[in-house]
Order: sequence, then C-alpha cells, then structure tokens
Amino acid sequence: MNRNLLRLAAALAGAAAVALPAFAGAYPLQVARNVIMYMALAITWDMLLRSGQISFGIAGLFGIGAYAAVLGVLRAGMSPWLSIAFAAAFAGAASFLIGFLILRLRTMYFSIVTLALAEIFRIVIHNLPEFTGGPEGVVLEGVIMKGSASGLYWLTLGGLAVALAASWGFEKSRMHFALTAIRNNETSAKSSGIDIFRWLLVAFVVTSSIQGLLGGIYVQSYGFATPDSVFDANFTLLPLAMALLGGIHSTIGPVLGAILLGLAAEWLKLRIPYGHLVVYGIIIIVVILFMPKGLYGLARKVSGAADRRRA
Amino acid sequence: MAMKRRTTILVVLGLAAAFLVALWKPTVLIYGVQQAGLYAAIAIPMGLVLGIVHIVNLAHGEFMMVAAYATYFACRATGLDPLLAVLPSAAVTALLGWVVYKLTIRRALKAPELNQLILTFGIGILLSQGVNLLFTSQTRKISLEYVSASMTIGELSFGVWPFVFVIVATAMAVGLKLFLTRTTTGKAALAVGQNPRGAAIVGIDVDRTYGLVFALAMALVGGMGALFLTRSAIFPGVGGPFTMKSFCLVAMAGIGNIPGILGASLLLGLSESFLRAFRELRGWADIIFFVLIIVVILGRSLKGRKS
Amino acid sequence: MTKLKIERLTRCFQGLVALNDVSFSMEEGEILGIIGPNGAGKTTFINLVSGIIMPSSGRIEYKGRDITYAPAHERARLGIARTYQLIHPLENLSLIENVMVGSIFARGNGLKAARRKARDLCAALGLENLGRDTSKLTILEIKKMEIARALANEPEVLLLDEVMAGLNSDETRLLIGMVQSVAKERCLAVGVVEHVMGVIRELTHRVIVLEAGELIAQGPYEEVSKNPRVIEAYLGGAA
Repeated sequence: MNRNLLRLAAALAGAAAVALPAFAGAYPLQVARNVIMYMALAITWDMLLRSGQISFGIAGLFGIGAYAAVLGVLRAGMSPWLSIAFAAAFAGAASFLIGFLILRLRTMYFSIVTLALAEIFRIVIHNLPEFTGGPEGVVLEGVIMKGSASGLYWLTLGGLAVALAASWGFEKSRMHFALTAIRNNETSAKSSGIDIFRWLLVAFVVTSSIQGLLGGIYVQSYGFATPDSVFDANFTLLPLAMALLGGIHSTIGPVLGAILLGLAAEWLKLRIPYGHLVVYGIIIIVVILFMPKGLYGLARKVSGAADRRRA
Repeated sequence: MAMKRRTTILVVLGLAAAFLVALWKPTVLIYGVQQAGLYAAIAIPMGLVLGIVHIVNLAHGEFMMVAAYATYFACRATGLDPLLAVLPSAAVTALLGWVVYKLTIRRALKAPELNQLILTFGIGILLSQGVNLLFTSQTRKISLEYVSASMTIGELSFGVWPFVFVIVATAMAVGLKLFLTRTTTGKAALAVGQNPRGAAIVGIDVDRTYGLVFALAMALVGGMGALFLTRSAIFPGVGGPFTMKSFCLVAMAGIGNIPGILGASLLLGLSESFLRAFRELRGWADIIFFVLIIVVILGRSLKGRKS
Repeated sequence: MTKLKIERLTRCFQGLVALNDVSFSMEEGEILGIIGPNGAGKTTFINLVSGIIMPSSGRIEYKGRDITYAPAHERARLGIARTYQLIHPLENLSLIENVMVGSIFARGNGLKAARRKARDLCAALGLENLGRDTSKLTILEIKKMEIARALANEPEVLLLDEVMAGLNSDETRLLIGMVQSVAKERCLAVGVVEHVMGVIRELTHRVIVLEAGELIAQGPYEEVSKNPRVIEAYLGGAA
C-alpha cells in the first residue's frame, strides 16, 4: 500500500517534471535545469559513496566530459548528439585508467587524489592551447536544438533519467550487495567471494561516465567551455552538500536535497553574489555532525519510531 | 625501519636531483630549494596532525589563508610589518584551531573516516567562502622592501628572502622532533598517536592531547600565513592547492615521518623549478605533485602485492 | 580425501613469528579442532588459509591446487569459507540479504536463486523472520547467521573462529549439533577454533595444538589432552 503510494507519487512527479515546459516560463525553466543537473550529479556521487569511497572528483569528470563534447564537435566534426555520448565514453575511459591506479587506495588517499582531479585536468587543458583553446576556452557554433528552452530542459531531464535509472539499477542488483558489503567490512566481503577492486572499478566507471555525460549536456546547452566554467568547484561542492542534506545511501535522499538546496541556491545567488557558497560549508558541517543520515534518514527514523509506537 | 629507509631514499633522491640541477643551472636549484622550504613549512603541520590525531585536515591550507588575511588587515590597520605579526598570528590561529577542534573535529573522531573527510572539507569551504563573503575575491598584497633583497655571486643573482622558508621548515622539523622526544607533553602526544587506547590506560588525557596537537599545528600554519603574506598576494582560494600538495608530501614521506617531509619537499620543489626553467614546460609544473603521488601510490601497491 | 594440505606454513609480523613451520591436513567429513593458549596463532592460521593475510613462506594446497597466494575472494569461490570472531552484520541489509551475499558472489547465483537458497539455509539452521533488521537479532541468531553466511558460499572447507563464544550451555549444545549435522550432510572439512575444551571434546574428531606459533601435538582430543607438553603449554599460559 505504502509502496504503491510512493510509486504513484514518483510517477506524478515524473509526469510533472516532463510537462513543466508547458506551464513554466524561461526563468523557472532555467532554474529547474540547474536543479536537475545538480540532482543528477548528487545521485552519481552517492552511488559511489555506497561503497564507502568518497570522491571529490565530480567537477573533474564533469569538466572532462564537457571538454570531450566540445572538442568532439570542433576537432572531430561530431554531431552535438554524438558528442554527448562521446563525453560519457571519454569520461568512462578516463575514469577506468584513473580508477585502475587509485582504487587500490582507500579512504583519504582515494579521496584526496580525486580532489586533485579537477585541478589536474584544468592544468592539462591550459597547457594544450592549440587543441583545447587554453585558458580562454572554446566556443561552439551554436547551442544544441537551436537553444530551445524546453528542448534544453528535456535534454537535461534526460541526463537525470540516466542517473536515476543507474542508481535504481544499483539498488536492485548484485551491485547493491557488493557495495553494501564493501562499505560495511572489506575483509568479510572478500570472504564472501567479492572481488572488491573489480566492483569498485565498475561503480567508479559507471558514475564517472554519467558525470561526463552531464558535462556534455551542460556544455552543449551553453555552447562554450572554459576551464573555469566547467571545472568549477561548485560542481563538486553542491552535489555533495545536496546528497548529504537529503540523506546518503539512497536515491531519494539526493533528489530531496537537490530540490531544497537547488532552489535555495538560486535565491542566495541573487541575494549574495560573493561567497553565498559559505551556506553549503555550514550545511555540510552541521549535517555531518548532527544528522549524518540526512533528512531522509531522519524521516525514516521518525516514521520507524511512530510505527513501533503503533505496534 | 621502513620509515628510515624511505627518508634516506627521499633525501638521497632530493640531493641527487639538487646536484644535477646545480651543475646545469644554479638558479633553478636555488628557486627549487626555496620553494621546497615553503612547501615543507606548510606540510609539516599537516603531517603532525595526521601522525597524531589521524585526521586529514582538508581545511589545512584554508587555515593558513585565514591567518594571512588576519595578518593583512592587522598590518593595514596598524602599519605593522607582517614579520612582527608571525607570533600573534600563530596565537590567533592556534585559538581558532582549538575552537574548531572542540566544536567539530572532536565530535567526529569516533565516526567513520568518511565523516571526518567530509567534515574538514566543509570547514575548508566555510573558511574560504567566509573570507570571500567578507572581503570578496579581490587579491591583496603588502609590498615590502626587504623581500626583494637579492644577492649576487659571480654571474649569479637571486632573491635571498625566500630562504626564510627553508630556515623555518628546518626549524619546525627539528623543533617538533625535540618536542616529541624530549618533553613530557610531546612524549605523551607521540604515545597517543601510536596507541590512543593504551595512552588513555596509562592516564594520558587523549582528548586534551589531540586538541593541543591540533592547536599547535594550526599555530605553525598560522605563523606561516603571516610569513606567506610577506611575499605573496592572497585571495580566498590561495590555500586550497597547499592542502593537496601538503597531503602529497606527507603521503610520500609516510604518515608520522616528519623529517621525510623535508626530503619529499625538496624533490617536489626541485622538479617544479626544473620544469619552470623551460618556457614550453612551465605550465606543467603544477602537475608534478600529482605525478609524484601516483608514482608513490603505485609503488606502494606493487610492493604491497608482493609481500 | 584430503581437502586442504598445509605445508611448512610460516607467517611473521615485523620480526615476530606468529606461525612457525606448521604442517598438517584437513580431511573430507572431518571436524578438526585447533586449540592453544592465547596468542598461539589460531586466528593467524585461519586468516592465512582464508587468504586475509599472506604467508611469509610455506604452501597451502586445496584439493591438489596451490592456493598459497590466491586472493581471498578467489578462495571463497573455490570453496573455502570462514566465520569471524567479531561478527559485523551488514548494516542496511536484512537477515536473509546478509546470508545471500555469499551465494551471489562466491557461487555467482542470481538474486532470486540466492534468496531461495538462503531461505533453505536459514530454515535448516532454524532461523526465522528472515526480513528482519540485523540489529535486533539475539546472540544465538547472530551466530547462526554468521554460519549461514559462510555456508552460502557452498564451501567444502569451513573454518569457524570461536562461533560458540558468548553462548550459554544449551545454546552451545544446539549449535554443536547443527555444525555436526551440516558437516556430515555436506561432507565438509571443518576447522574449529574454540577456547572451551568441552566444545572441542564433543565436536571434533581430531585436534591440533598450537603454542607460540608451533604445532606441538595432534591427534584425538582424549589423547592430546593427556600429552604432558600440551598440559604444560596450557598451565604455562594460565600462570
């Protein structure tokens, strides 16, 4: 009963999301696109976190995807659509190589190397100006779908759908068991026959590809890429804060957090042009210290307590 | 044992690199050593925290940045020389560090390491964005005459001032070594670092020791913030790269190996300075720390598989 | 038939010898007790056989195949399973899902098949209410779950690291019976590390005695327990 209700709610929310351009103007649509983009990134960050590995590399893989898409069009003559697929493939291949090197590391070593990724990619882009356009970046001839507001919105929504589908796939498959077991205790996971390195690599490549895909969508929607715009630390910071606030280790948590913080971000951006990100720092600290399971975890705890009282 | 061997290897590699570079272009050596001093002086406090409190402080560079800003405004208001502000700045940052420890880090010590990483990441954001909010992202600098003092030996001419970082880094390494092995508090801190539970059993106040060590490390970083301001322009994001490089150096040296950080810094400083000597390669210098950490990591995982 | 053959197995930890030149074998259908005072190297031995740590020297052979340096997850797939002294149920997974893990990864079963097999296993061990959260299990249920998790690998060699610790005498007797019947049914070679001698006496066919990393005696419990060297090792350990 409860589950059916949830499904109904999800279906309604999905339908509303798809139909949004019919009643929303250009500005709300733009805001919605931002929220959706961050939501998708938050989901992919959480997917890897389910294995106990914290990646601070979202901005890095997002930016790599963005550049792959732009350069795919400019240097290899790809169509915009193909370039988005190429962005995902390129980020996936890059993360495979990187993961091969660093997924033998755990906790802080892994996290800090991923933290450096955006910086490293940015330096690479800076230093190959003939190919990448250097610090000034590159401009595409036009925006995908001629910049149609609803078209761009649906494209971003498509990116979110991929992230949601992958996250749901993770939850309903062996992946769920593998990641949960690895997060809980690697030693006992091994004794259950889990090849930890392999599963982590798969999870890292899948989440990185989606981050690259989103980077491709982003850059095709705006028609240009500069190192500062696509490797912006916000692409790491916001999804992380959203997932934490909403509740980690679930799909619904990051979705919830993204809606709350995404809307708040738009408002704050207008109010405080400099340093509004300080709010995210505070949210991260408060959530980690006082409700590490986030709002969704809190809600579950409260409803669980209510259930027990009823029983 | 392994630690000593690694220190020796790093120092030998560093010195060999230094020798080769000196033969080729002495200024590259000088700049490299100066840069190494700066890196080491910032990384050593991180090594201290990591070795004893077992926390990666992802806000490490941000603490230095905050100290530099505090120094900047204090000096602007009073006309004081930043050099004279080193000790007050250290005191203020130590206090800030102690408060941050008591309010946040202490609560996360028992939590999974994951939470600690995210927590200090959040603190870093809070500090850098807080400064951004208060003072905008405009760069600020204090011009000082003695900073441009230079020296000429034969045909060689170079700036002398940055050697202060080398002196400070060496003093830190020696001072910490003495502190940890000769004083009661230091010995207690070392014991806590090696075995907190055992240290608690013999009556050492672990929580207090952690707070003290964290405050001490932040004091060192705070002093460095004032010193950093003598030579460099500051902006809210100035500390971030130092967090990553510091971690890289600490990881290369091996956690708990403070003298090793000097060797690792020498290697990093010289390699960067070497690349900067070529016009076409200059832009790649900032990538070296990443290459080094990957090489170290790979080497370790290969060794780990063998044993 | 010999399932596991250990030859001159040695493991040092930074100069300390935890296990020194130990050789013996484990046979199909046999329950082997591994006893010795604290720090004798019993858990080190289980860690070596299950691949959690690698030996400094020596050789481990499983059904004629050299697995001395095979990674732990591969050994799990080949048919070596173990329990842990400190049991960590997987958070966020229900009782039955905890048991499914071994079936999914060590046997490569799909989720449905794994669930079915886990249900049968739990029924055989008398576990009920399989959708429960693991935080609410009794000690006996946790122990049973740990055994079920190991059995989900469908192993041929099963290593039990102090599974009886913390149980009262009725529960212990119950679990002894279960281990015996499971071992017989599945023709397992079982290795049991246990502190309580009563359990070893009732449960095992044969024991080996470790002291300070060395194998000092082996044979049926009744025989070994009279061995003066063994008595001395235990009294020395107690004094």
